[in-house]
Amino acid sequence: MAKEQQTTGGASASPVSLRLEVKNLSKSYGSVHAVKDVSFDALPGEVVALVGENGAGKSTVSKILAGAAQRGTGQIFVQGEEFNPGSVGDSRKVGVSCAFQELSLIPGLTVGENLELVDKSPIGIFSQSKASSASARTLEKFEVDHISPDSAVSSLSLADRQIVEIVRAFIGSPNILILDEASSALTPPGVGWLFARIREFTATGGTVIYVSHRMSELEEIADRVIVMRDGTHVGEFRKGDWGRDQLVSLMAGREASSQFPETTELRKISEPILKVKNLRSDRISGIDLEVFPGEIVGIGGLAGNGQSELLSALFGARHAKADEWTLDGRKINKMNPRLAVELGLGFVPEDRKLQGLALSLGVGENLIFPWQKIFGLGGKPVINNQKTWLGDVINALSVKTRGASEPAGALSGGNQQKLVFGRWIDRNRKLLLLHDPTRGVDVGAKQDLYASILRLSDAGIAVVWLSTEVEEIVNVCHRALVMYNGEIVSSLRGEQLTADGVVGAAMGGN
Amino acid sequence: MNQLLTNIKTIPKAAWPFIAFILLFFLGGLLRPELITIESLLGTAAFAIILAVASYGQTVAIIQGGIDLSVANTIAFTALAFLTMTRTVGFFPALIVTLLLGSLIGFINGFIITKLSLTPIVTTIAMNGFLFGLILLLFKSSELATVPVELEVITTARISLLGVSFPAALLVGLIIMALLQAMISYSGFGRQLIVTGTSAEVARYSGIAVDRTKTLGWALTGFLNAVAAVIIVGFYSQASPTMGAAYLLGSVAAVVVGGASIFGGSGSFVATVGGALVLGQVATLVSVANLGSNIQQLIYGLIVLGVVAAYGRNKKG
Amino acid sequence: METIKTGLFSAVTRLRAEGATAPVLAFLVFFSLYVVVNPEILTRFQLQNAANLVVPLAFAAIAQMIVVIVGGIDISIGAIMSLCNVSFALMMINLSPAIAIPATLLIGVAAGLFNGLLVAYLRLPAIAVTLASFFIIGALTRELMDRPGGGISFEFFLATSGELLPFVPVSFFWLSLFAVALWFVLQKTRFGRHVYAVGSNPEGLEAAGVHSRATIVMAFMLSGLTVSIGAIMLAGSTLTGDPRSGDAYLLNSIAAVALAGVSFAGGRGSILGAILAAFTLGLIGNFLYFAGINASWQYIIAALILLSVVAIPAIVERVRKAYRESK
Repeated sequence: MAKEQQTTGGASASPVSLRLEVKNLSKSYGSVHAVKDVSFDALPGEVVALVGENGAGKSTVSKILAGAAQRGTGQIFVQGEEFNPGSVGDSRKVGVSCAFQELSLIPGLTVGENLELVDKSPIGIFSQSKASSASARTLEKFEVDHISPDSAVSSLSLADRQIVEIVRAFIGSPNILILDEASSALTPPGVGWLFARIREFTATGGTVIYVSHRMSELEEIADRVIVMRDGTHVGEFRKGDWGRDQLVSLMAGREASSQFPETTELRKISEPILKVKNLRSDRISGIDLEVFPGEIVGIGGLAGNGQSELLSALFGARHAKADEWTLDGRKINKMNPRLAVELGLGFVPEDRKLQGLALSLGVGENLIFPWQKIFGLGGKPVINNQKTWLGDVINALSVKTRGASEPAGALSGGNQQKLVFGRWIDRNRKLLLLHDPTRGVDVGAKQDLYASILRLSDAGIAVVWLSTEVEEIVNVCHRALVMYNGEIVSSLRGEQLTADGVVGAAMGGN
Repeated sequence: MNQLLTNIKTIPKAAWPFIAFILLFFLGGLLRPELITIESLLGTAAFAIILAVASYGQTVAIIQGGIDLSVANTIAFTALAFLTMTRTVGFFPALIVTLLLGSLIGFINGFIITKLSLTPIVTTIAMNGFLFGLILLLFKSSELATVPVELEVITTARISLLGVSFPAALLVGLIIMALLQAMISYSGFGRQLIVTGTSAEVARYSGIAVDRTKTLGWALTGFLNAVAAVIIVGFYSQASPTMGAAYLLGSVAAVVVGGASIFGGSGSFVATVGGALVLGQVATLVSVANLGSNIQQLIYGLIVLGVVAAYGRNKKG
Repeated sequence: METIKTGLFSAVTRLRAEGATAPVLAFLVFFSLYVVVNPEILTRFQLQNAANLVVPLAFAAIAQMIVVIVGGIDISIGAIMSLCNVSFALMMINLSPAIAIPATLLIGVAAGLFNGLLVAYLRLPAIAVTLASFFIIGALTRELMDRPGGGISFEFFLATSGELLPFVPVSFFWLSLFAVALWFVLQKTRFGRHVYAVGSNPEGLEAAGVHSRATIVMAFMLSGLTVSIGAIMLAGSTLTGDPRSGDAYLLNSIAAVALAGVSFAGGRGSILGAILAAFTLGLIGNFLYFAGINASWQYIIAALILLSVVAIPAIVERVRKAYRESK
């Protein structure tokens, strides 16, 4: 039934009938309730935004709708028909298509191949040239003129990859288009392009589920906004009926102004703890950086502009050279992680599950990874003070765990993040390198982490904080360095350290 | 029923192969009741411990996330070197040099894997071939059969304990198992190996010297392969260029049947012994029931499948 | 003329992208040396012998490559080779090739299906599944035949291992035919694109609405088919079925795949590279014989060739990185 209505691009017979109905949707991953009893609906031609903090459950909802995850309990109806896809292919057949947050293009193939393989059965001749011209037409139809169908996806910038991912979602004239953080890597002109495509799509009756946490975008594009927090539906507003502060406090569960802690004045110390001149590697160049004890330096910019390479290079996890590199007064020729730890550095990586923790090993053991001496004893918690150290970290950060033997994988996201962070506190660190330390973490855990970072700063420990949340940089950092194309293009502090300032510099401006 | 299932879940993973071994042992008793004797159990155990000892090096390799396809010819090469040297320099010097040789072979593997970033599969296959060529070129007689007395005394001797007699090799194998298990569970190096095998990235971001840990791990693998070579020579009183062939995939089977994850990060020497015991008991049962070695291989394959299906599901993809 | 030029250019670019420059160069260097040491290789008799020697390994290398492209590795490849070899030889005692050949191909496909289903639908790691099937298929093989034998006729030998035309061994012909057909499937059909895609990003394939699991199963079946053809060629050229015939092909096929520049992470691989790598490895022993060097050196030389060819790109990358950073 849904198929018949698909051909015209989605306008249903009765304009008032619901395109999408979600009833009491719930989903748990183990003991973590990602989505709890969420209900909402969407009409043809509507843009419904799902907003919430990282970890609020909006991505899980979109994954379930897209067919990439199985629902737990509840019901979903598309055009009145029960909808329970077993795969992304099933969803697409019914006209539900998604541009995923974790880009799902195939890096080894070209843009053309990625676009032309969609929805087609394996049986059939594949002609490179036909795929190239067909996808060139597709790109043209969606007004993308700067990407060639013959480029390998792996050679594209992150922003361009996101554009291709979005175009791919449009293929097949879906009824419902889910855009999960689809603008996260786009430039402002790119966002404009996206909105133009969305408007074209809704004009013909298509429905868009727009998952995001960016206020300015919602104001422009959303007809209705649904707020999620901790997996539940906490608010719903029509266009024009809501204000930013209202949304933010609903998303955070508390007053917007108290989201960030009070920062203290930086005590001026003349000698920097870290100094690099002309630090460079294959993704970064000409980095001049000085970090002073107790300073919180933010690293901002659009994702993919060299920030994470810079952080890894400073820790020695990536090769880099510099004309001058001094850490705590000591000259550095070549950095590696073991040396970094010895010299007083600490690192909180971007992905706590793949880079931060060994999920199958115990909480206590994970905590002491950097401190495990090769000729020392280890393993069971009793052997090397794991319990005491864990106790200290639990007190400092309010980590919820059953004990040192609990596998790290059993902890919730926020607690896992605290664990990775807790590795470094009270360990005579001089400089901490943090890569999005509050990503995907609930509001309460965020507060605990902010407080801890400030305590460290007060104690004279320097912090280099890479964040993709502009608000974090603006509100908690003493100084911000914005990166573009592998270089630092702007240094902001005091009055100049504003959201607009950071975003403007991130676009390449000075 | 639920209570039973919860209780079952608390049994440590490494115990399962031993439980299976005991069950198989009693299964054999159903066929031939006269086989339920301590002697026969110990006989199978002794035979199995040889496979286990040959699998200790593989256990280390798999725990740290790799695989050793050079174990066959490392064993053959070091065994032949050992026998050749004992004739000239005597037992103890030959033993030391042999163990150093094994460690060197492992170290070279580790160096190539870490510094040249080649995969363990390719590196160890190349090393395996290389060593085979060396064996053919360096060792004149295809089989050396004079085993030094000192070794024979240890490996072919029988120990009497509590009225039961068993081969000393069994005790030697178990002592090595205990030492290695203590290393992997309670020493800093062992824990670093486990973390590196679970995820090299996590290890790196925690400040663990990944390359150093891996290289030492490979050297240890080579060392243990040399130990196995000496014990095998002592137990079977001979060595030949192809003596290690069965241990290539046999060692992987023992480690996998013991429940280790083929991707690394988990595994124990106790479990490897358990895996070898299961495979050994299957061999005993098959020969007792006169089913032929083909059935034995078939059952080996089914057991590997069963264990991997129970433990080794691929979370991604 | 233009189209030929652009065709050649794009072919070279694609070879480079699949990492095949190494085996092509290695083979050219090796074969030049070979001709210097033994000019007689270019005689009809020796060409035929050499071809018969290396063609089965080429099939095994291609089969292993297909599994590696989808992100796995096949430890049972030697066992499948032996099984098909033995089955074919047995069938040829009483049946005509018209029945024996398709039946053998079916056996290879069935073995691949077994491996593929376990890997794709039970989500078991390929290395573990194929380790198990190594034992199972090996047992099956030895049940069928415990010593060399079988009913291969001389006519069949000529059909697989003789000469098609003067200086063109028939085995090359069959290999080329298969290679072209496979190339077409992998490069020019959607299924082939899926095979490469599933190796580099299975989630990406799912997101495009394609069933990645079915693709994996099909790839394993295709690999089994390839092995079975190699087994038939081997049976034809040796005039026997031998339960141990496939043993050496396990390690040699993996070495050939590595030498071919195929990434063990999946998603890349060139058929031509696999074939030339197999030719190089397969002829080393032969080469040493004619050079008057002790044949035992072939193992050492093969290992060194493998290591250097695979290590050189890594070293080049390092040097390049260091150079870039020093600027």
